[in-house]
Amino acid sequence: MSSLQALQQQLLQAVLSERTPATLPLVRADGIADTGSRLEVYRHGYRVRLRDALKQEFPGLHHMAGAQFERLLDKYVAAHPSEHYNIRWYGAGLAAFLDYARPWRDRPALAEMARVDWAISIAFDAADEPSANIAELSAVAPEAWPGLQLSLQQNLHVLDCRFNTAAFRRAADQGGKRPRLRRLQQPRQLLVWRKDSSVHYRQLEVDEWQALGAAIRGEPFAALCAQLAAYHAQASALPRMVALLQGWLEAGLIRGWSFA
Amino acid sequence: MSTSTIGLPYLGYGLGLRTEHYQDLLADPGQVEWLEIVSENYLVNGGLPLIWLQRFRERFPLVMHGVSLSIGSTDPLDEDYLSRLARLARRIEPAWVSDHLCWTGVQGVNLHDLMPLPYTEEALEHVAGRVRQVQDRLKRRILLENVSSYVSFADSQLSEWEFLAAVAERADCLILLDINNVHVSAMNHGFSALDYLRGIPVSRVQQFHLAGYEQGEHLIIDTHDAPVSHAVWDLYIEAVRRFGRVSTMIERDDNFPPLAELRAELEHARTLAEPLLRNAA
Ligand SMILES: [Fe+2]
Repeated sequence: MSSLQALQQQLLQAVLSERTPATLPLVRADGIADTGSRLEVYRHGYRVRLRDALKQEFPGLHHMAGAQFERLLDKYVAAHPSEHYNIRWYGAGLAAFLDYARPWRDRPALAEMARVDWAISIAFDAADEPSANIAELSAVAPEAWPGLQLSLQQNLHVLDCRFNTAAFRRAADQGGKRPRLRRLQQPRQLLVWRKDSSVHYRQLEVDEWQALGAAIRGEPFAALCAQLAAYHAQASALPRMVALLQGWLEAGLIRGWSFA
Repeated sequence: MSTSTIGLPYLGYGLGLRTEHYQDLLADPGQVEWLEIVSENYLVNGGLPLIWLQRFRERFPLVMHGVSLSIGSTDPLDEDYLSRLARLARRIEPAWVSDHLCWTGVQGVNLHDLMPLPYTEEALEHVAGRVRQVQDRLKRRILLENVSSYVSFADSQLSEWEFLAAVAERADCLILLDINNVHVSAMNHGFSALDYLRGIPVSRVQQFHLAGYEQGEHLIIDTHDAPVSHAVWDLYIEAVRRFGRVSTMIERDDNFPPLAELRAELEHARTLAEPLLRNAA
């Protein structure tokens, strides 16, 4: 190992260590400040920067965890050295951390909340994608519709939620009061996507998720309609599908289509 | 007194571009002549950051300032970072690209900080080689900025300015001289800021940063979150005397005041520098 490499590794360990070492032979001593307080500038700065970066990305989690948020961040920072050059990506592992680390794993709403915050965060600067409009789609011949396969935006995320996590994020975004945590009667899906430059999120209706899920899997239009048939009388399934499709187009969820 | 002999343009008086000032800066740029972006903020795949960047690109000369090159690290250069950086540079054609004379991590861990190097022959050779690698990759000379530091190393054989000057000469790169960082490190390590300026080759200095710091108990901390201090303005005058016409900007990274306050600081820089430059002409 080169002596430069050895120096960098030792200094890195000093910054990551739980307590600032009082001395480190590689650091030059002088009368201005002791080695411990010199190292502490770096040790403290590292933690502050990571915590600040996380605070920006996880406003919903902040709202939900309340007074425990700081401690939660400290534990994550202590357990996870940053590995990406861009500090913005440091939060990528927070939800998984909350899944397994005590005591947070006993409150599964926190990990779920972290997933929602993170999906919103990454949608913000995901790649730009084209989106289809209604006029283009209405030019498709009627007999071609059953075999039509929608292609959806790649930056769209669907998250399974067992709690009213979206309400916490909404309260955080709008400066609202902290809602009461509720377990949903059955898991529901939250759709996160970006239209132009704004990120949106909303809970999907149960039937909508069945149709959208089929579209995401690449199933043809006829199969989407079949999904809805389980929820609607025969006469109303097709109008419902048309209404959903209009909504998806307006929200910019659809990139284009092809034929099976 | 002369301008840089290395051939990059002189841009005048500028500011660091920060989201907090996006709207105000487009509405009323005042005397702001150019902008420095933090490269990492725009190494993204799409969305709002790049839309804003395009708007500023149409109105101002831009320069790219990165914090993640980690030129002094003993880890390999980050290929993904370099290719994104090169792509951004092709997209916005900045007047120049800069980063810091430091390392930001090792063994795959990133400290997101500008860690100082030991000023040794070994480090000098290591850094100069990597600068040449990066310059080949970006097909342009880069600028390296002096950082504020809180530790120095028992192994160092050179002063910080000797090291910076030697890196610039050996790698044939340019220097972004942060006047505040010179002052901060001079105070923290007990060297003379004027010796520092005198040790830097005039022809290599392409840009100045001016910023503020915070007085700690024993050390001064480079927070870049306060107005430029008296001591730094005094040092700036000395720097203008030595280096002549150098593109200058106010760099504020936190605790953002209204844009008008930064513009006033920038005008103060102009008021200090221009009479000296006219007299020398
Ligand atoms: Fe700087």
